[in-house]
Amino acid sequence: MLEKTALLSVRNLVTRFKSVERGKWITAVDDVSIELAPGEMVGLVGESGCGKSTLGRSIVGLEKPQAGRIILDGVDLSTLSGRTLRERRRAIQYVFQDPYASLNDRQTIGEAIAEALIIIGVVDKVEQRRRIRLLLDQVGLPDALADRYPRELSGGQRQRVAIARSLAVEPKVLICDEPVSALDLSIRAQVMNLFLKLHKELQVACLFIAHDLALVRQATTRTYVMYLGKIIEEGSSGELYAQPSHPYTRALLGSIPTADPRIEASRAPPAIFGDIPSPTNPPSGCRFRTRCPDAMPACASDPPPAVELTPSHRARCVIAADLYEAKGGSVGRNHYAGA
Amino acid sequence: MIMLRSFLNALRGLPRPAVVTIGVFLALGLFGPYVTPHDPNAQDLLMAHTGISAEHWLGTDHLGRDTLSRLVASARTSLVGMSLVLVIALSVGVTIGTIAGFKRGWVEEVLMRIVDVGLAMPSLIVALAVIGIFGTGYWNMILALALAWWPGSARISRAVAVGVMNRPYIESLRVLGASPARIYFNHLLPTTIGAVLVYATAEAAAVALSIATLSFLGLGIQPPTPEWGQMLVDALPYLEEMPMQVVLPGLVLTAVVVGFNLLGESIALNRVPVPLPRRVLKQRRSIATTWRKATT
Amino acid sequence: MTAPLLQARNLSVDLFTVRSALRPVDDVSYSVGQGETLAIVGESGSGKTVLNFAPIGLMPTGVVTDLHGSLRFEDIELVGLPAARMRRIRGGRIGTIFQDPMSALNPALRIGRQIAEVAELHLGMTSVQAEARALDLLKLVRMSDPESRLRQYPHELSGGLRQRAMIAIAVAAEPKLLIADEPTTALDVTVQAQIIALLKDLQKRLDTAIVLITHDMGVVASIASKVAVMYAGRIVEYGSVDQVLLEPRHPYSTGLIAALPRPEDKAGTLFRGLPGAPPIMGAPQPGCPFAPRCPLVVDYCTDVRPPLAPAPTGSAAACHVVNDVPHREMAHA
Repeated sequence: MLEKTALLSVRNLVTRFKSVERGKWITAVDDVSIELAPGEMVGLVGESGCGKSTLGRSIVGLEKPQAGRIILDGVDLSTLSGRTLRERRRAIQYVFQDPYASLNDRQTIGEAIAEALIIIGVVDKVEQRRRIRLLLDQVGLPDALADRYPRELSGGQRQRVAIARSLAVEPKVLICDEPVSALDLSIRAQVMNLFLKLHKELQVACLFIAHDLALVRQATTRTYVMYLGKIIEEGSSGELYAQPSHPYTRALLGSIPTADPRIEASRAPPAIFGDIPSPTNPPSGCRFRTRCPDAMPACASDPPPAVELTPSHRARCVIAADLYEAKGGSVGRNHYAGA
Repeated sequence: MIMLRSFLNALRGLPRPAVVTIGVFLALGLFGPYVTPHDPNAQDLLMAHTGISAEHWLGTDHLGRDTLSRLVASARTSLVGMSLVLVIALSVGVTIGTIAGFKRGWVEEVLMRIVDVGLAMPSLIVALAVIGIFGTGYWNMILALALAWWPGSARISRAVAVGVMNRPYIESLRVLGASPARIYFNHLLPTTIGAVLVYATAEAAAVALSIATLSFLGLGIQPPTPEWGQMLVDALPYLEEMPMQVVLPGLVLTAVVVGFNLLGESIALNRVPVPLPRRVLKQRRSIATTWRKATT
Repeated sequence: MTAPLLQARNLSVDLFTVRSALRPVDDVSYSVGQGETLAIVGESGSGKTVLNFAPIGLMPTGVVTDLHGSLRFEDIELVGLPAARMRRIRGGRIGTIFQDPMSALNPALRIGRQIAEVAELHLGMTSVQAEARALDLLKLVRMSDPESRLRQYPHELSGGLRQRAMIAIAVAAEPKLLIADEPTTALDVTVQAQIIALLKDLQKRLDTAIVLITHDMGVVASIASKVAVMYAGRIVEYGSVDQVLLEPRHPYSTGLIAALPRPEDKAGTLFRGLPGAPPIMGAPQPGCPFAPRCPLVVDYCTDVRPPLAPAPTGSAAACHVVNDVPHREMAHA
């Protein structure tokens, strides 16, 4: 659908790891296709172990995919290698979850950002200093911080530094892997707002990888839901949250507790069973069927088709159309449905 | 800079006796020849085997050489020999270890299997075999010991390098499009060297002991160069009359070995939490008392 | 009404390490009755973990804590209790649940043995009795296929099952009080909902009191009956869950609750939050620690320490401003 205009397009990506068990493989990302338009804010949600981080890491080249293509600005990255690949791929930057580990603790903030500038060929010291000041200002930090070491900074400040450094190479896409989940509650909003501001000012496209659905809903316009290596539902955030059409999406939304004790008093636990199964040996047919409250015999035989509910909303479930009509939910209670 | 910082960082909070012993050893190793009261090699057969005297504080050996001067001068022999062995062994080991940790895959497999073979043989046996083939001599000894020691440092370097490569800060450099050379030389190598230098402290004791052992066996440092193992073997025939001449070099060697071992051990255990020392607790408590006064 | 199960009166904790002296808990008072759940809410460095683990002697090596004030559990004064007596209470009448079950469980022992060990230690059972008890406990925490789980090692279980095993160990000796430190933070939302349901169910059946340490307001709303909001080592707001979550009075709790994304927030709109950063633990401060970030701050906030004053209606808040103008506050509500 975004074929022509897509800035980043991931097609049929497969990433596998060797399992600790001999001779077995874990297919962390299994035949996944996603797209990002220029300047678009997109969410990628799912539980831990669903492969969402591996997908993000595969896109920036931190993991080596076994199959599939990553097309950036019309160029298939798998056809490139060495220096050209590095220079092309630089347009996609990655923001790590742990702001304490993503900076070298023996480099000052200024040195860390300068290194990014040197990598793109800015070697003039004066120009470097000018840009460092500009970048720190962009992420809302005073330039006095340039002489400090990461250990002297708070988690929120470090995450801003990490973002400033990514911005130094002028990216078109930011992949943010749980960028605020390691931060304190009162700091999260500040960093999320920074992403929104940067998006508005610099027109960077963002892929938010997160387990916090409420956060993703407010920050993004489109959301992908991932389960055991597969995208099981995608759609505009508003619609996906209001009319979740896959039982898993419904369970996820139904599981988020609200801060209102009156609602919580009457909440039934979601009708979803157990934990996410091991990806070494995923269930046949529909991967969610082992935990699905609506599973039927047919689910075990074939992978469910992608049901197109609207041009921008698809869910991989045989009863997706029924669920789409049913809105709110049989699976727990989804307080997002009403909005 | 990164290297120095990580090294100094690791040296904090070490046991004082060990630091003093090793400090004295290093100082004597560097400046010893300038402070010896006598020429350590000057023989005076008339003065052989005198006891403690105002002129010869620790007596003389069977050739009338001043024992104190020889003990001090030996520090240089030991330090230079040890440093040469460690520098060669670490250069080889760190290079191989970091390449293995950086490249991974089959390169790592091949390199580490070679290292395994090296580790499977006891270092002293390897050194003896090499000297047996190439003959005795200073450089042969140094090379023999270096050959025996590099696999250990290679294995440690590889472990450190793999850890560093998995840190998000290296990953974020990869995402920034840093060239492999930049990552290897600017980040991986300095960090690994910093960490491995610390481990080398523990190895220094074993190398010092090996040099003395080889010299004792007559396969290492050749006379008349003053060396502790050499002094021991020289004095051995006169054990009955002059036990001090045997005991002294032995004691000094023991002090150095124990000093390096203590240092190495405490560095290795640097991260392990220990109960708060009583003295520190008392200081901290007195701070807390001032709070109570201020708030009431 | 009978005396509460756990009662803290002017409890302070001084904490000493090689590097510094801190006061992570500064003059707090609260109580938990039988079968009640008190949620202690705060950010990292607010002292919520030290408050709960220092009094029962769970502190890492190299850290010494001095307690002042009083903390009574049933009829025992925990402040100044000898370590040997504390060991008998901990794991017995007080059970603990940690955030990360993987590091709290022994990786080399089977699940069944680990649960049985607690039963042997605190209930004086023989090993055969204890094994039978372990099976009952796994059924109690609703583990699927409990017989085979008994023989499994922690690494063979998923995160949710590990947390269930951990809870089974915590309730093995039928504790009167459960201290749960972020029990669902490491879990996914769907599993979190299951674990909260389990805790509520256990509480009903065993009539235990729970002290829940968390930063998640959603978890608070779904399980707590009382809430204490901590900031920089002090309780800044204390009241029933309805009072604190629905009509918060202290500007910090108000800000925290307002910061939660709501369904009616439009996509792409800015997130609400608090300015500034939480303070770093250190020496006790004279005034209100929240003053630098507070929207209502007045000049004497930085000098005069606000007491935790109960209001005629609503929760107790430690704030000069909201306590001085109760009329405006009530009109607002």
